[in-house]
Amino acid sequence: MNGVLGDFFGTFLRNRGAAVGLAVLALVGVAAATAGLLFPYSPWDMRGAPFMPPGEMEFLLGSDSLGRDVAAGIAYGARVSLLIGAVSTVVAVLLGITLGAVAGYAGGVVDDAIMRFTEFFQTVPSFMLAVVLVAIFSPSISSIVAAIAIVSWPPVARVIRAEFLSLRSREFVHAAEVLGRSRTAIVFRVILPNALSPIIVLASLMVASAILLESGLSFLGLGDPNLISWGFMIGAGRSVIRIAWWMSVFPGIAIFLTVLALNLVGEGLSDALNPRLARRR
Amino acid sequence: MSLLDVRNLTIALPPGAERAHAVEDVSFALEAGEILCIVGESGSGKSVSTGAIMSLLPPALRVVQGSIGFEGRDLLRLKPAEMRLLRGSRIGMIFQEPMTALNPLMRVGDQIGEVLKVHGARGSAGRVQELINAVQLPDPDRIARSYPHLLSGGQRQRVMIAMALALEPAVLIADEPTTALDVTTQMQILGLIKEIQSRRGMGVLFITHDFGVVAEIADRVAVMQHGRIVEAGAAAQVLNAPQHPYTRALIAAVPHRARALDAPPTGRPVLELVGVRKSYWRGGGLFSPRVKVPAVQDADLVLRKGETLGLVGESGSGKSTLARCVVNLVKPEEGAIRYHDTDLRRLMRRHWKPYRKRIQMVFQDPFASLNPRRRVGDIIAEGPMAHGMGRAAALRRADELLALVQLDAGAAGRFPHEFSGGQRQRIGIARALALEPELLIADEPVSALDVSVQAQILALLEDLRQRLGLTMLFITHDLRVAAQVCGRVAVMQRGVIVEQGRTAEVFAAPQHPYTRSLLESIPGRHWLPPVAQIPDQGAVD
Repeated sequence: MNGVLGDFFGTFLRNRGAAVGLAVLALVGVAAATAGLLFPYSPWDMRGAPFMPPGEMEFLLGSDSLGRDVAAGIAYGARVSLLIGAVSTVVAVLLGITLGAVAGYAGGVVDDAIMRFTEFFQTVPSFMLAVVLVAIFSPSISSIVAAIAIVSWPPVARVIRAEFLSLRSREFVHAAEVLGRSRTAIVFRVILPNALSPIIVLASLMVASAILLESGLSFLGLGDPNLISWGFMIGAGRSVIRIAWWMSVFPGIAIFLTVLALNLVGEGLSDALNPRLARRR
Repeated sequence: MSLLDVRNLTIALPPGAERAHAVEDVSFALEAGEILCIVGESGSGKSVSTGAIMSLLPPALRVVQGSIGFEGRDLLRLKPAEMRLLRGSRIGMIFQEPMTALNPLMRVGDQIGEVLKVHGARGSAGRVQELINAVQLPDPDRIARSYPHLLSGGQRQRVMIAMALALEPAVLIADEPTTALDVTTQMQILGLIKEIQSRRGMGVLFITHDFGVVAEIADRVAVMQHGRIVEAGAAAQVLNAPQHPYTRALIAAVPHRARALDAPPTGRPVLELVGVRKSYWRGGGLFSPRVKVPAVQDADLVLRKGETLGLVGESGSGKSTLARCVVNLVKPEEGAIRYHDTDLRRLMRRHWKPYRKRIQMVFQDPFASLNPRRRVGDIIAEGPMAHGMGRAAALRRADELLALVQLDAGAAGRFPHEFSGGQRQRIGIARALALEPELLIADEPVSALDVSVQAQILALLEDLRQRLGLTMLFITHDLRVAAQVCGRVAVMQRGVIVEQGRTAEVFAAPQHPYTRSLLESIPGRHWLPPVAQIPDQGAVD
């Protein structure tokens, strides 16, 4: 397996974009992990005069309208963004895999029912649905994670279903059936491992879109009121953008870089996991 | 001077490939009015050499040296534009896969007309008609207006031939043109190529892996192995008195020994099919009714202890569907499938499990039938573990089975993609045998393999059958294989078993007209391969 994994990382890192993306992502991760050491105070604390431009009064990235440190906000916000991005993606992927696998393997009426249910979620614009869900369940980190997961599982279900439809008629699946393996074993042990590569790629892109969704929600004031987040910071800075541009620009750059990095990583994964492209290199 | 003169052609493979050259120092000449067959197994370089003639080589391959003389010029030194003028007009080509070689969005008549137009010939409708007539397609008007998906494989291959012939080329290159076709269609296409060739005096370069086809069509033969021509000569000479050990091994591997008439099986029936019927439903959109397509109709079969029954038929005859009915991969809607005294058709899924140990299957495609994400040891141990054997014991059993199918023990720790087709098929057989079945269903187990590998797998199956006392249902489209392996055969046509009986009797005196036409279509049926002293087979795998 070492050889296989080594090959995989080799192909992955040969894609320069993917390597850069991974580096940026690591940087964001480090900022989130060391936020407490770099800024040993709450990001909500008043640390000095308001509207200080970057570099003055020890504010690396300036201060906001209440004299809070923008740099500390970004570091603590990275925690929220990464946490919500990762957790909601895991939930969405699990939900999507389960429904997609059942639909694709069972086929027939079950497939029809599950796919119509999936389409029901796809007909509603996902951001609107997320806004409604968070508004109903009152903004908190768990309701935001739930809302993002609920609006982002349908693509996973569709991809997994398509993979299962093509894989279930392959001979090695027939062979498992003839060997007398149970249905659960065939679905989860035989077919699923062979259907995972597109899901890994999709998941990395879903983390990016989850971060965007969370930023959008907190920009509209639907973020968790106890946690600072990038979207909230942009939202707070938007009315004073002409006197304190740094309040919205730096969180904006943080979102932009993180999402871009995730997309680059996703593309690198997609290349590395696609055997036909890998061979051409 | 020869029509086409290939001299000392050497083409390099990209660095890191299994050998340095795809073809090495290959020389052959094609005269006008003859058919030269290039024979070889997969990877022997036969397609690469014809690709070089058409300058259709993949970009990674590079011609190192050599020349290809054609009409006083060296094709390897022509500019792409000059080559384009020759392609199609002076050198025509037919490809292996008629299903993908035609543009699905263009009417057949237009596609043939396009060839004429590209080369500035007067692309009149009359000429297209003439060509369609020349390849003996029925109802030329209708065919010209049809889209490719409406035609059968054989008809499409005829269209391809019509396109290749449109500008009356001096050389026709046919790259395995009949490999994807059924035997009866193959015979017709071979007859057509031969007839057109002799009428127009073309030189035909015919690539094949099948010595039967060679015997049918070739004037001269060149045998390729590992990128080199190891033997060349007149067809009769090479076929009946092969000199090179590799040629001898290939010819010995052609299945030909009709089995001696064994005593009629008297053991008790293991498997009995009574009136099995299975249909598929096709179509059925919102506005169109579904169409019932019968796949198997009223199939009756008896399989007695220890015998091998061959189920033969062309593609679409329902032979695989019938086999899948027996292992419950397909649910027949009527009839009884009696295994000893139990009707398997009526069993629920959980009651099937004990029978899974008794009835096992070997699949056709050795590349698709092994889970690419699991190690070979785990693949073989999968069955015993699903039936409650501990992992350690199952893996030990897998090692024994690997030895049984003549693979070394180190194979257990590797992944399927590290093995060749023949080795993978051995793994597939080991997996089926891991549960110690009584009845083995082999669904075209050798049709995806090269002849020499095919012979080894057949020998292995026969050896295992005798040693383990297996009863076997052997599905194949190749009558030569059936003749060699099976004690009895059942012939299927369009879902119906039209004839069954002891192999030797059916082959000697076929009763049903379809059986007769199948037998007449065996390529090279008039050629009896010399029973050579079989050299060591190990060199071939």
